[in-house]
Amino acid sequence: MNTDAQLKRFVPSPARKPKSSDMTILRWIRSRCFNSIGNSILTVLVLGLAFYVIDYALNWAVFDAVWHAANRRECMDISPEGACWAGVIDWFNGLMYGRYPHEEQWRVNLGVILAVAWLLPLSCRSIAHRSLVLISWVGLYPFLGAWLFLGGAFGVETGLLHTVFTSLAAGFMVMIYLNWVLALLNRPSLTDLAYPLAARFTARQTHIYSLLIVWLVLAVISGAVLSQVALPPVAIERWGGLFLTLIIASFAITMSIPIGVLLALGRRSKLPVIHWLCLLIIELARAVPLITVLFMAVTLLPIFLPSDMELNKLSQVLCAVCLFSGAYMAENIRGGLQAIPRGQYEAAQTLGLGYWMTMLLIILPQALRLMIPNIMTSFISILKDTTLVSIIGLFDIMLMARNIANDKDWVGLHTEPLAMISILFFVLCYGMSQYSINLEKRLKVNR
Amino acid sequence: MADYSTQQRVMNEASAPPVRQRGWAGLTSFLNRDSTRGNVIQGLTLLFVLCLIVYLGSNAAYNLDRLGMMFGFDFLSSTSGFDISWSLIPYDPSMTYWRVFMVGIVNTLVLSFNVILFGTIIGTIVGILRLSSNPLVAQLARCYVEVVRNVPLLIQIIFWFTAVFSALPPPRRGYMLGDLFFLNNRGFYFPSPQGDISFFWFLGAFVLFAAAAWLLRRKAQQARINQTGNHKALRTGWLVWGVALVLACVIGNGFIEWSVPALDGFNLEGGQYVPVAFGAAFVAMTVYRSAAIAESVRAGMESIDRGQHEAARTIGFSRFQTLRLILIPQAIRAIIPPLANSWLVAVKDSSLAVAIGFPELVSVFMQTSINQTGRAIEIISMVMGFYIFVSLTISYLLNKYNARVQYKVM
Repeated sequence: MNTDAQLKRFVPSPARKPKSSDMTILRWIRSRCFNSIGNSILTVLVLGLAFYVIDYALNWAVFDAVWHAANRRECMDISPEGACWAGVIDWFNGLMYGRYPHEEQWRVNLGVILAVAWLLPLSCRSIAHRSLVLISWVGLYPFLGAWLFLGGAFGVETGLLHTVFTSLAAGFMVMIYLNWVLALLNRPSLTDLAYPLAARFTARQTHIYSLLIVWLVLAVISGAVLSQVALPPVAIERWGGLFLTLIIASFAITMSIPIGVLLALGRRSKLPVIHWLCLLIIELARAVPLITVLFMAVTLLPIFLPSDMELNKLSQVLCAVCLFSGAYMAENIRGGLQAIPRGQYEAAQTLGLGYWMTMLLIILPQALRLMIPNIMTSFISILKDTTLVSIIGLFDIMLMARNIANDKDWVGLHTEPLAMISILFFVLCYGMSQYSINLEKRLKVNR
Repeated sequence: MADYSTQQRVMNEASAPPVRQRGWAGLTSFLNRDSTRGNVIQGLTLLFVLCLIVYLGSNAAYNLDRLGMMFGFDFLSSTSGFDISWSLIPYDPSMTYWRVFMVGIVNTLVLSFNVILFGTIIGTIVGILRLSSNPLVAQLARCYVEVVRNVPLLIQIIFWFTAVFSALPPPRRGYMLGDLFFLNNRGFYFPSPQGDISFFWFLGAFVLFAAAAWLLRRKAQQARINQTGNHKALRTGWLVWGVALVLACVIGNGFIEWSVPALDGFNLEGGQYVPVAFGAAFVAMTVYRSAAIAESVRAGMESIDRGQHEAARTIGFSRFQTLRLILIPQAIRAIIPPLANSWLVAVKDSSLAVAIGFPELVSVFMQTSINQTGRAIEIISMVMGFYIFVSLTISYLLNKYNARVQYKVM
């Protein structure tokens, strides 16, 4: 008989040594790539194919390529087999900015930098009213950007409404940055400073009023500063290149969400008129190709609008692309809405929330978060689809790339510009898709 | 007991019809009712839409009047007067706009049918290769899918058109295969049956033999079930079609005259050909579609439980048998809906061939015909109607098929 003491003592058995020779790299390769005759042949074939493709591509694009030449003939003389990147480099400016005047291109750069800078405070968690930053980016930045890109004397050539909104946008941006700096310095923000002032006028919702006061003061100041500035006007017809592609894509992407939300809610509505109307719009827009919608916008809008109202081609295209991407987004969002359990609706009802509050506070945030992968896929396809505007004659990056082949110095230079913008689109789209996978993983961890 | 009755009374009160109030209170309670609010919102929406339609319509009427144009479909019967570079049905400039519409539809359908067929085949193969246990094969398939998916289709179409197909040598120095198939910078030439009648003989014979063989096979199957009670299918499926085809060829051969393309001066004469634009659009779209289909096939295959693989291994199935008998039949259920969507997109994407001048519907009807006649409203509604019809048809058929392959819920 064992004693209790013996029983309770834990005697670990010595661990077995790992089989060191079990999975060396060579064995792993053998077990995966050469485990049968068929698989071995496949491996060799794939290796050969990969080698051939990479070898050919590298030789063409790097080793035999010409980087400096005056025209295509010179390229051909130096290296007939390789790529002629000289033409693309020569046209690089055109590919980026289209026919935007050379000396004004800093405005485009500034506009893009401002658009990114507007969103930077989102990364700072201590700043107040972070959701306002995103909303203002959608609602206010376009006015500032449009004035910057279009030019003209501030307040004179732009309309009154545009001037007001541009000042508001500039004021808002200044406010965000001042608040950010103050938050970094651990000082009370401007809004807090204006709080006693606002409290003197009204007792309710003083935070909002103090925000409004600061914003208006800053808007008036920045409006006054901007009114001293006169930028040479640039017609919309001269916009082009990657710049135009990004404008159309980002406009369609940002607009597709609110349009999609409205259409999706309408489609799930119990009111038959609204349900059928939204269903009709979604299904019609999704059943036809984008190019027909673009043609419709360009040829039919002038017929259906009053004869004295003239829209430029860009706004027609923007209308079409927004409708189209909104309809696709609506189906994504509908999927998200359907995935929200009934209990969430009932809980919101129990709390006494009305329809819009239920949707805005409870349902939509969850639905949008659930649908992030699909929404990102939609964004990527919108970005890719913007190349279609070249068919109806907008000078986006695609049409600029095709135009290089018509330049008298670079006649017939088709492949290299296309290869270059293919790489550009690949980097953009692949980056977006990897980011969305990353985002999805991160959100899953949080749950 | 008292508690219970109180509760009962409260419940009774709650379910009693609302007391009809009078005066202002009645009005506000009426306005606050959900049904009233819904009706008001719907009425306002309807009114807004009607006003919009009337407004747009009156604008259109005014603008058309100002430009001296009429609304109507009478232009369809007038002569088009322009040529179309390639059409499968007979066409010449003296024919009507209705014929132009038909040519566009046929060209669009031919292009998208080929894209769907080959895109599905290649996509299925690539999708299965992506799941290969051989890392080299899987990574190569992954590279293919990622590269193809992340470059806009339009760029790919133009790339194939300008960099590959238009760069082919001229007819005299073009590629040829056994004096029957020719590939050059004008297009792809191949032999075609000459004359309509002989070809229909062949087709008729094939259909006849195929039907007869199918009936015979069904009878044999029934006999087998009756005699042995064995429900296993006869393994003669392919044989039946093969025999029918051979018989039809033997019968039809006497009637078919093949027209073979041959060099004549600087060009090829005879046979049938597809233009370079078709080739570029076809290759680019097939590659693009196959990548999308590969992704849905992979997703479908990955949705199957690992236990199914293991069970199949346990009963001694080979890798190919597992795929054919266990995995694909189950994966089909998850693959069909995205596949249907992919096919729809393929038909819609065929409109991009307009960028390289392939005469499909958008190109011949929406571009050229609108320029010639100015009948934008009619033409655009016809083209959109066609696409809507096609997408409704495809989604209807695939929904039917989908309903058949899904699990039956009792």
